[in-house]
Amino acid sequence: MSIKRIRLLIWKEFIQLRRDPMLIRLLLVMPVVQLIMFGYVVAVDVHNLTTAVVDLDRSTTSQKLEAAFTGSGYFTVTQHPASEDDLRPLLDRGTVKVALVIPEGTHDRLTRGETAPIGIIVDGSDSQISAIGSGYASQIVAQFNSARRDELGVTVAAPGVDARIRVMFNPTLDPVNTMIPGLMAAIMMISLMVIMSQAVVKERESGTLEQMFVTPIKATEYLIGKLTPYAALATAQLLLVAAGGIFWFRVPFNGDFWVVLVGLLLFMFTCLGLGLLISLVSRTRHQAQQAVMFLMIPTMVLSGFIFPIQSMPAVIQPLTNLIPLTFALEVLRGAFVKGSSFEALAVPLLALAGFGVVIFSAAVIATRRRIAE
Amino acid sequence: MMGSRSFDKLRAGQARPADQRSERPIADLSEAATSPAIAVSGLTKRFGDFTAVDKIDFEVPRGQVFGFLGPNGSGKTTTIRMLTGTLRSSSGNALVLGEDVIRRPERVQPRIGYMSQKFSLFEDMTVDENLRFYAGVYDLSPQQFTAQRDYVLKMADLVGREDELTRNLSVGWRQRLALGAATIHEPELLFLDEPTSGVDPVARRQFWDLLYDLASRGVTLFVTTHYMDEAAHCNRLAFIYRGRIIASGSPAELRTEHMDQRIFDVSTRDADPALLWLEQSPEIAEAYLSGASLHAVVPSGSRLSAVELGEQLAVAGFAGATVAEVEPTIEDVFVNLVSRQR
Repeated sequence: MSIKRIRLLIWKEFIQLRRDPMLIRLLLVMPVVQLIMFGYVVAVDVHNLTTAVVDLDRSTTSQKLEAAFTGSGYFTVTQHPASEDDLRPLLDRGTVKVALVIPEGTHDRLTRGETAPIGIIVDGSDSQISAIGSGYASQIVAQFNSARRDELGVTVAAPGVDARIRVMFNPTLDPVNTMIPGLMAAIMMISLMVIMSQAVVKERESGTLEQMFVTPIKATEYLIGKLTPYAALATAQLLLVAAGGIFWFRVPFNGDFWVVLVGLLLFMFTCLGLGLLISLVSRTRHQAQQAVMFLMIPTMVLSGFIFPIQSMPAVIQPLTNLIPLTFALEVLRGAFVKGSSFEALAVPLLALAGFGVVIFSAAVIATRRRIAE
Repeated sequence: MMGSRSFDKLRAGQARPADQRSERPIADLSEAATSPAIAVSGLTKRFGDFTAVDKIDFEVPRGQVFGFLGPNGSGKTTTIRMLTGTLRSSSGNALVLGEDVIRRPERVQPRIGYMSQKFSLFEDMTVDENLRFYAGVYDLSPQQFTAQRDYVLKMADLVGREDELTRNLSVGWRQRLALGAATIHEPELLFLDEPTSGVDPVARRQFWDLLYDLASRGVTLFVTTHYMDEAAHCNRLAFIYRGRIIASGSPAELRTEHMDQRIFDVSTRDADPALLWLEQSPEIAEAYLSGASLHAVVPSGSRLSAVELGEQLAVAGFAGATVAEVEPTIEDVFVNLVSRQR
């Protein structure tokens, strides 16, 4: 292996990258657009959930409770149906996503020091909303309870809800916090697959691949020369997304830097390998594009990037284990948000390593074979 | 004959470019006695059930222009790929510049050059960057690179256009630049896989002049082509058909040894019906289009004369047809060889 030839190949690759304005735009603009899109779309979704309040108590307590919901910013009360029966059509039509039912006698029960049950109904057709909406609602109720106790100076043990909520509940912008780390992995995957899949097939089409293998360039030198620039670009993109997430969307970085790095590197190998494989198998650039699209859709749908895996049918759930992105998301979300350690993330990290080794070796073998056959 | 004219021109010392560098021999031909440029025996390549190259044997002496002819899909490119060390053979031996290219391609590759019909330049890189890349690949020193770059730019007529993207060059320039890039390391042996396909006749002539220039400096050239007129430019030829070499020798040898039949050149305005008539005539073994006229092959035993064939054509309604016996061209030899194989 000659370092000099590898440097030459990298130099060549960067020159060609520079001459491809579309590619540069794609590489720099895509992460920014996706960051804004996913960051804000998710954030907006969580705020302003349309809410109906059925106030059967008509007391100061019920008014305070409603005010607590409105004041939180997550819920916008748009309807005040007279009875619970009127709720169903509103939810069915999607006019409201959340309904709050305050039964008659709530105020009286609370004054007597009893637990007062209130009903919160959440539109379950959207798993994201149901999870987030019910979470926020419980948090608001808990805050309301503690505020009331403080007001009254009551020190008696409060209803059990309080303790449960604190465990379940995380910072205010929870979905963005999980979305941005996920986005890092997704953007890396999309851009690496799109570029890598074109990289080799383009050179085969133009005949330069054939030419290079008549020279003293070795298959390994060619591969390293090809992959290094793209790995560098992918890293730059990752930094861009991470910076955007941390400084613009204020995603807290609670995690271990090394866990994130190892996870991303392992996943990068998988992505480079997949792109390379597609490029080697495809006869034309068009074919390579089609293959990327074909892989991308199940990846986005099944990885848990957009739809939570827990809400998928039991039959489908095992399939998510075939998608490398699933494990990358698990590692990044775990490490970024919860600060999970290497031990806690051992399973997804090993899975990523497995995917990386298998796919990347397949790509290397395919390169050698393509050249030799 | 186009070829001999070019050779004469070359011998007269008119070959261009006439700078000092281009006169210097690249390969030392005194070595020629020790090992041929290429020696192939029993070379075979199978792809599954399909045998692309079937036990071929041939030898290319150093300093020769060797033409490797055959229709598309006959095994030309497969052979070149084995000889350049990019494809493993199924069986057989191939010595290139005295080295076993199948087992030790890395010993051969720095000493050979390769140019394909695709011209294989990086289209999104400039003339200078392309040369710089290939010079680096062959590990040329900065001094060597400067000298070679000047030579290639002059040879390809690209002085002053160093910073143009090769994508924007027209075909003739691209072809000459590709030749320059493929020979930047002054290889002793150059493989050319249909280097002139898709190039206009003027550029083809200029290109062959450059090839003679290389040959005059001792470089062995291994050229595949399906332009039969180009075949006459070669010192030696080998015909490959369906993976087998069906004939080889100098153009003159091939014309005499493999042609015991006579060729009549038939010119008529009604070429299509005349061709049909000739094909159906019992006295004609074969008829086909050759350039603007028709060629009719008369079997070796036949005493048919040109005048008689002209009269027969006139009777058949082709009044203006002129018939003349001609020397068989390489194309005639090739058609004849292929029809015998069938």
